[in-house]
Amino acid sequence: MPHEDTQTIARPTRQPTSVACAHCGLPSPLPEAAELPFCCEGCRGAYHLIRDWDLGEYYALRDQLGGARGEAVRVPSRLEQFDDPMTLGDSVPLDCGGGMVRSRLAVQGLHCGACAWLIERAAAKQPGWHSARVRLSDHTLEAVYDPQTMKLSEVATLVSRLGYQVAPLVESKRQLREAAENRQHLVRIAIAGFCAMNSMWLAVALYAGTFSGIAPEHRWLLHWAGVILGMISVAFPGRVFFRGAWAALRTRTPHMDLPVALGLSVGAIAGLVAAITERGEAYFDSVAMLVFLLLVGRWIQFRQQRRATESVALLMRLTPRVASKVNDDSSVTRVPADSLLVNDIVRVEAGDTFPTDGIIESGDTQVDRSLVTGESRPVSATCGDHVEAGSCNLQYTVDVRVEAVGRESRVGKITSLIEEAAAQRAPIVQLADSIGAWFVVSVLLMAFGTLVYWWHVDPFTAAGNAIALLIVACPCALALATPLAIAVAIGRCAKRGILIRGADSLERVNRVGTVWFDKTGTLTVGQLRITRWDSNDDQGDDATLAMAAAIEAGSKHLVAAAILDAAKRRLLTIPTATDVCQVPGLGVHGTVLDHTVHLGNQSFMDSLGISLSSANLVTVREISSIGSSPLIMAVDFTIVAIAAVDDEIRSDASKVVRSLQQAGWQVGVLSGDHKETVKRVAAQLGIAPDLTFGGVAPEDKLAQIRASRCDGQTVLMVGDGVNDAAALAAADVGIAIRGGAAVSLDAAPVYLSSGKLTSLLDLVDACSRTVTTIRWNFAISLGYNVFAVALAACGWISPLVAAVLMPASSLSVLSLVLISRTFAHSNTSSSNTSFAEPNVRIA
Amino acid sequence: MSVLYVALPVAILMGASALIACIRCIRGGQFDDLETPAVRMLIDDPVATGSAAKSSQSNSESRSDVG
Repeated sequence: MPHEDTQTIARPTRQPTSVACAHCGLPSPLPEAAELPFCCEGCRGAYHLIRDWDLGEYYALRDQLGGARGEAVRVPSRLEQFDDPMTLGDSVPLDCGGGMVRSRLAVQGLHCGACAWLIERAAAKQPGWHSARVRLSDHTLEAVYDPQTMKLSEVATLVSRLGYQVAPLVESKRQLREAAENRQHLVRIAIAGFCAMNSMWLAVALYAGTFSGIAPEHRWLLHWAGVILGMISVAFPGRVFFRGAWAALRTRTPHMDLPVALGLSVGAIAGLVAAITERGEAYFDSVAMLVFLLLVGRWIQFRQQRRATESVALLMRLTPRVASKVNDDSSVTRVPADSLLVNDIVRVEAGDTFPTDGIIESGDTQVDRSLVTGESRPVSATCGDHVEAGSCNLQYTVDVRVEAVGRESRVGKITSLIEEAAAQRAPIVQLADSIGAWFVVSVLLMAFGTLVYWWHVDPFTAAGNAIALLIVACPCALALATPLAIAVAIGRCAKRGILIRGADSLERVNRVGTVWFDKTGTLTVGQLRITRWDSNDDQGDDATLAMAAAIEAGSKHLVAAAILDAAKRRLLTIPTATDVCQVPGLGVHGTVLDHTVHLGNQSFMDSLGISLSSANLVTVREISSIGSSPLIMAVDFTIVAIAAVDDEIRSDASKVVRSLQQAGWQVGVLSGDHKETVKRVAAQLGIAPDLTFGGVAPEDKLAQIRASRCDGQTVLMVGDGVNDAAALAAADVGIAIRGGAAVSLDAAPVYLSSGKLTSLLDLVDACSRTVTTIRWNFAISLGYNVFAVALAACGWISPLVAAVLMPASSLSVLSLVLISRTFAHSNTSSSNTSFAEPNVRIA
Repeated sequence: MSVLYVALPVAILMGASALIACIRCIRGGQFDDLETPAVRMLIDDPVATGSAAKSSQSNSESRSDVG
């Protein structure tokens, strides 16, 4: 293995002021001479841990396997929950003999084989940790360790120090059911494959015997062996089709299982009759093969769907399941979030997520409600204010009186709303189903007609001709056409980071209509950035920015994060601040280098009696007019700097919007954010003002989507966040973008795991091409069947020739699907090397 | 050709025993994760040093001998 020097990983990026972090690849400040760059202390820790364990090969391996760079390391404050069996869920360690215990943990942030390698090797380096086994398919880690020397929390700490987020595993009923279903699929495929392959060689022997002569008793033996295998195939693995067909009949919804079940029963009965009467060919091999191919196609589809739903479950694992309950004697105990009752008091520390809906009982803080409302700016919350489960406490510890838990909470209710919206969606009748049902019926009628006609003309060839017709008309190609083309397209999309759950989405995206975008986190990056920093001439940008960073250093406020980020990018030495005090909703003040520093919005300055000069006012107005938020800094009660804080537009957004508009789509914005901000973003991207809606509540988004669906158009909704979830489910196709909230991914049938908007263009492209391929498949298989049926009805095809011709149609459909391209351009846009490089402009 | 009466059941039985083994593996969960094994085989064994290297080498040799 080429041992790549880790120095080369720290490739300088375009900006001379920042280089890629040696661990995660995010832009980082330039390091001191002869040191490696790191974006944060967490990454530095992870890097040195990996080096100390002599596992530096990880970096070379990661690049070689084409995995994405690791995520920036966030070591959580509390991991002792891993030692409390009550909070462990399905991760409770089990004794596995030899004094060892085994525990399965959920791991977030696994990208490729290199991650699995790193964790498994790390286990070997740690005394007491016997082994680790990473499963990439469900993102879990099975750790076997010695409870005498090591605690589970230590395992969790080590893994999180390597840059992966660890959580106790909670296996929902759906996951367990799907795992069992997956095994059932495989068992069926195994049995069907065994029957198909064995009946195939029996059939070859029989056909060879027809040419070169075969003793009747041997013929009888081969025949019956084949029939029995075919029967097993239809009766056991093929049973699933009959069950589906029966359900379709009962609910009167046409279903692909119906023609398949008809085809299978006709094939099986004809084969049995041929074996009993010892006349004609039994085509048990075709029947067994059909069952096998259909099952494989079905399993591929199942896997793709499961992959999409799994990604949702992964994010759900990280939501808090444990809460700090304040008892009557004001002591605090950790309890599972589910066990909380209304009117309990819960303590939520800064940086933690609220476990329930509630009212703040004591304390002031800032709350990031972006998961619940989509609002990108933090909201100040004080005594008596309402907070929702899922929003994040940014600043100070608060006590919250519980109002609603679990499904009763707002997030829970939105989740049920999604489920309802998803259930209401009428099942679309696929073209193959409707054609298939008619096809089978007409083939049966024609076979009967052929039999009757030839019975009168030539009774000896009558049965042969009818059977030949049934063989060549086998809807094999028709049955394969749609699932195969869709499975191939879904697989190819998945390779590009587009996960598609529900094949009907492919067909729907093909029809041009309206695309609604959410703003926060979809059209924009979703993080606040300092886009402008104007200071007075005598101070200089760096000095003022450093002072601003000093007083914001201890805060978790989003604006503080933006300032600290900007200061770090400029490699400023941040002085220490004293007497820092946050004024909720206004700003922050403190003392830096013996100067009093105030930093906040215009009302903050007004309340302090600091007057803005006319030049200052012009700047403030300028900033507000483009929809950014002005931030004013005063030192010793004199204005020294004015900054613009903004959520930046994604670099690929305008290209995507333009391409969609050129393709005939109507593009609109639906956002819960400030109207002015939304208007500005829409104008910059060339989105028509009459399709731009700001300040929209989740319920209104839903109404808007329903209204545009009433026009009979296809409606796509692209977004993330819980406020989009209902809209995503109500749209014809909901498209969730990575980095959004877990719930929206549950509602959306399409998930862009690449996190790039350009994937949307790939998706649209793939859909139209796939639908074209499916139509070609129909044309070929139907044309072929019509032609062959006509020949067979005329008595020009013998059953033997028919049996040879039958697979030809399937093969032609198969090769067409594999030859056709899913994407117009080759896979260059989604290379792993292009990292989002936020360009911070500081004037 | 009467060998067919023996050969056919034997062949089917051999196939069936492989099928049963396969089903047992599926039920045992060996096919639950189809992603990690695919990348794991690309990962080299650790380059061990000194005595550890010898033992791991002899291990892999003996394994290849058996295989």
